Amino acid sequence: MKERLLIANRGEIALRIMEACEELGLDYVAVYTKEDEESLHVRLAKKKVRISDYRDINDLLAVADENKCSLIHPGYGFLSEDYRFARRVEKRERPLIFVGPSWEAIRDLGNKIYLKKLASQLKIPVIPGTTEPIYNEIEAEFKAEELLELLKEEGFEYRSLFIKAAAGGGGMGIEEVKNLEEVRPVFRKIRAYAKRLFGDEGVLIEAKIPVIQHVEVQILGSKKGEYVHFGTRNCTIQSPFKQKRIEIAPGFDFNKNFSLNLQKIESEIIKYSLRLAKNFGYYSLGTWEWLVTPEGKYYLMEVNTRVQVENEISGKISFINNNSVNLIKEQIKVALGERLEYTQEEILFKGTSIELRLIAEDVSQGFQPLSGTITHFKWKPESWLTIRTHVPQDKPYNIPTQFDPNLALAIIYGENFELAKRRAQEFLENLIIEGVTSKGEKLKTNKEYLKEKLEIIYQFLPS
Amino acid sequence: MKIELHKKLTHLMETAIYIRDIKGEDFCDIQTLIEKLLEVHQNFYSYSVEELKSFIESTNQKIEFLLQKAEETLTPYEIVKIVRHPQRITLQDILENVYDNYMELGGDKEINLDPAIVCAKAMLIRKVDNELYFHQVMVIGHEKGHGEEYRQGGSAKPWGNEKALRYMKMAETEGIPIHFFIFTPGAYPIEDYPGAAQQIAKNLYYMAGLKVPTISFISEGGSGGAEAIGLTDFRLMAEKGYYSVISPEGAAAIEANLKEGRPPRELVEKCANFLKLTSYDNLKLGTIDRIVPEPPLGARKKDFDFFRRLKVELIKATDEIVLQTKSLKMFRKYVLSKQDSENFKFYVDWDLTEDEREILLENRIKKYRKISKWAVYEPKSIMKSFMEVGHNLSLKVKNEIKYKILKQGQKSFKKFLSELSSESSVILKPVSDPVKTVYNLIVGKKLKPRIGSQYIPEETTPYESPLALEDKTVSCPQGEKYGCPDLWVPDLYGEFCGVCPNCNYHFPLEYTWYLNNIFDKGSIRTFNDEISSTDPLNFAGYSEKLREAKENTGVNSALLSFEAKIGGISLIAVMLIGDFRQGTVGVAEGEKFIRAIEIAKITRRPFLALVHSTGGIRIHEGTLGVIQMPRCTIAVRDYVEAGGLYIVVYDNNSYAGPVASFLGSAPYQFALRSTRLGFAGPRVIRETTGQDVPPDYHSAENALKRGHIQGIWDRRELRKKIFTALLTMGGQNLYYR
Repeated sequence: MKERLLIANRGEIALRIMEACEELGLDYVAVYTKEDEESLHVRLAKKKVRISDYRDINDLLAVADENKCSLIHPGYGFLSEDYRFARRVEKRERPLIFVGPSWEAIRDLGNKIYLKKLASQLKIPVIPGTTEPIYNEIEAEFKAEELLELLKEEGFEYRSLFIKAAAGGGGMGIEEVKNLEEVRPVFRKIRAYAKRLFGDEGVLIEAKIPVIQHVEVQILGSKKGEYVHFGTRNCTIQSPFKQKRIEIAPGFDFNKNFSLNLQKIESEIIKYSLRLAKNFGYYSLGTWEWLVTPEGKYYLMEVNTRVQVENEISGKISFINNNSVNLIKEQIKVALGERLEYTQEEILFKGTSIELRLIAEDVSQGFQPLSGTITHFKWKPESWLTIRTHVPQDKPYNIPTQFDPNLALAIIYGENFELAKRRAQEFLENLIIEGVTSKGEKLKTNKEYLKEKLEIIYQFLPS
Repeated sequence: MKIELHKKLTHLMETAIYIRDIKGEDFCDIQTLIEKLLEVHQNFYSYSVEELKSFIESTNQKIEFLLQKAEETLTPYEIVKIVRHPQRITLQDILENVYDNYMELGGDKEINLDPAIVCAKAMLIRKVDNELYFHQVMVIGHEKGHGEEYRQGGSAKPWGNEKALRYMKMAETEGIPIHFFIFTPGAYPIEDYPGAAQQIAKNLYYMAGLKVPTISFISEGGSGGAEAIGLTDFRLMAEKGYYSVISPEGAAAIEANLKEGRPPRELVEKCANFLKLTSYDNLKLGTIDRIVPEPPLGARKKDFDFFRRLKVELIKATDEIVLQTKSLKMFRKYVLSKQDSENFKFYVDWDLTEDEREILLENRIKKYRKISKWAVYEPKSIMKSFMEVGHNLSLKVKNEIKYKILKQGQKSFKKFLSELSSESSVILKPVSDPVKTVYNLIVGKKLKPRIGSQYIPEETTPYESPLALEDKTVSCPQGEKYGCPDLWVPDLYGEFCGVCPNCNYHFPLEYTWYLNNIFDKGSIRTFNDEISSTDPLNFAGYSEKLREAKENTGVNSALLSFEAKIGGISLIAVMLIGDFRQGTVGVAEGEKFIRAIEIAKITRRPFLALVHSTGGIRIHEGTLGVIQMPRCTIAVRDYVEAGGLYIVVYDNNSYAGPVASFLGSAPYQFALRSTRLGFAGPRVIRETTGQDVPPDYHSAENALKRGHIQGIWDRRELRKKIFTALLTMGGQNLYYR
């Protein structure tokens, strides 16, 4: 019987999954909500069901049962990192295959405290800080003092600490302290905040790494215990709210002269990432995020237990038998329990790939997301260019306000970095994206911002 | 002359009507007699004196005969009717006829004026030979009135009991004995400021340690309301009184499973029989100490002989309690044997010295520890019980030595050391400070501060609730109000601990969940499991129900007692489980509670009472059940005063007796969000007060508002909260301090 997959997501990733299913010869069912009726993923889907909300587990599982699906792909965002969803999918009476890692992996590796502890046990460098929540301000001050001294020993010029809620995330309940006198009052404040917001008083203290590059390792593991990596990516260009805007693969430009041994750093972060994955028994796609400092230090920051938006640039530079890789296809194959058909040695890395995220946002107004209607959306097709978008080009498109305002992903390939960068500039020059806001004003996008930031790729930036 | 006759005639007529009220119209043709009497009464002046005389004479004989006959065929339900009759003696009658002088005392604050509770300062005169001795006593009791509406039939409101408590305290300050008179069908079941259960628990807790002799006289003892002023050193009971866990009507309604309306009359009479509520039954059960004889069909307003008798009994009872603290047993017996009539042979001083007060309290603890012990069913060989006594004794000696002698020594030495070092540091400061700075300069690091970690390690293999095994979703009952998504059952009863993550609604959980999720893995060790609920009253149908409950739950009583650990701290805990007869409390449960709290006292461990659910006192065990209220409360007070930590956590339905006594008297009480806490359920409130209560009347929020509980907890945080409580609450006498 043909396997059938439920796509529990929208937009670009839903289109990618549909494409992968067709190539693999699987049936699929797409879901959509009222706001997304205009979206391309709905128009192109052969079978689709309207639901109330992409986050409604009960709805999704009802659709899956109704259509006799045997797999479910959560994409990214929404339920992709909800371990309860993954657990329910696996543990219900009519279980489905969750296209992603095990639910334990989502829960444990998604937990920063657990990750830090596990990494420390495996001698993987993590950002210096506490590995247990602190409840006591005397202890907090003591830890802070220890940390500041450690940073001094490691030779950091600029030393400061983050005090943050153990249960927090996404930039909530986090504050920077520069000297020891501030620790106690800030600690008390954060603890009260944590108690109010997350119900748990636990507080963490962590060193702030002032200047960084954000590098991540793309890992794929099968359920049979085989592991490969698809190189690294560099995502240093981020909005102030830690949202990525430009990603580039590979993660390092070895021609840049930093008086650092970049090759060594790359091979070590890959080695450590694989060590953690093997030790945990991780399977499916996963991304290990690292911070690299100009001093040549590197720290494991977090593990993303899902497919990422920027997965395709890794696929573009990885070649097996001279064909570039489709990571989503690989992910589905692994979920079906297949073995990997290749070894690490058979994966060859060639060229450079850049991803630009086109977003309707006002960069000057603190990256405020905008809503409105896209009237013109045109670009010049090139062999080196892939555009991933759910925005239709043949008629105006209203940007739904409920979801993130990503409009399109532009993936540019070049045989080397200089060429890729030039092509990216060229693409942005030729890109036409116009629209109006609901007030009738011209819709702003981050096109100019991207142009500007393309020039500082591969540099160390203040975090 | 004729007026005298008229009086006699009226009296005869009242008596006849009284007999009819008690025994019913069909009793020995009483209706015809009443009609005849009425006719004579109406046409009184048309009869001659001789005619009247002979009529009165013959009727009197007839009525005497009827009274005798009525007395012989008296049923328990008729006794209940006697007690409820408007002609029954009231506290006011007793104050006027028994005491030589009295002054009624009002409550303080506007709300404290409860006409159902009367407090008075009274005087008793004792005549020994030709000398007169004066005794001051405090009289506290229920006033039923002869049918007045505003007295609520003697149902004390919470503030009425508060008033009683106030005068108990006053009597204690003045050092005078207290005489309690119990004439109540039950407490008025409202949750106000304070709530009924809360105030009764407070009263019981205070009375457990009252340092003056206390005597109670029971005429109508209705459950919790009676206990509110009933924990006394000596319990007298009127011969035609009743003392019961519930009114026969209430018992019948429960037995018949009625939600509305009146239970059938036959069932009510049957229940009155089963409940064993008469004075002779209670004396046999051991819940009272002595019966005060009454004239046939009970004492009424004008039975002056009865009042004289009562006075003697009251003085005698007080003497007995006082003498128990003072004298040798032989002498005491001799004195008491001489005090049988109004002409007392001895004067006994009712003032107690400090030592005698201690003895008084010890006697009280011993007395209540003994009550109902005969009904405890414990299948055990003599050898084993003998060993157990030895074990307990050695445990006691060991802990006494360990904590009283060694630990005290250690503590005082530590104290001395720290004082010494702090003082020396002041002297040495100019010398030591520069040294310290130099030291810091060279070594560059301060010593690590020693802080006890407050982190409890999480359990790795969670317990799976049997409720969580179904693959389905449920809707949150508050979903319409808060927009909660439907919950998947395995998540709800697994990770969410039965709590809706959106609105914090608590779903009920089985009791094993608590055992597995609150305490450290594998640390639970139950004890006294073999103590089993039995059927001491031979209540029809109860044995079968008990057997069924035992088979279904696999336990022998509704109370589990065990020792366990939370975060490494060892504690003694009890749990009332709702699966076993709705978590009601009877003899077995009370005994297990007391034994557990005694072990906690000896080993200086904290004591935790978890209430999975409790429906009150088990009616099938009658007054033997009710008596567990004062019994357990005394044990609680004993434990708390010894420096223990007693924490109560309520969940689900926590109602009535237990809440109004040994649970409600805990210094620290907490409820989970889903708790419904109170004295009586909505149905009983509607029946007694005639008013419907709002749906959130018994909510935990309301209990917190009126100060019954000290906090509302979330079930997901229960383990952490109890751990924090163990660390932060309680006195210095706990073993880990």
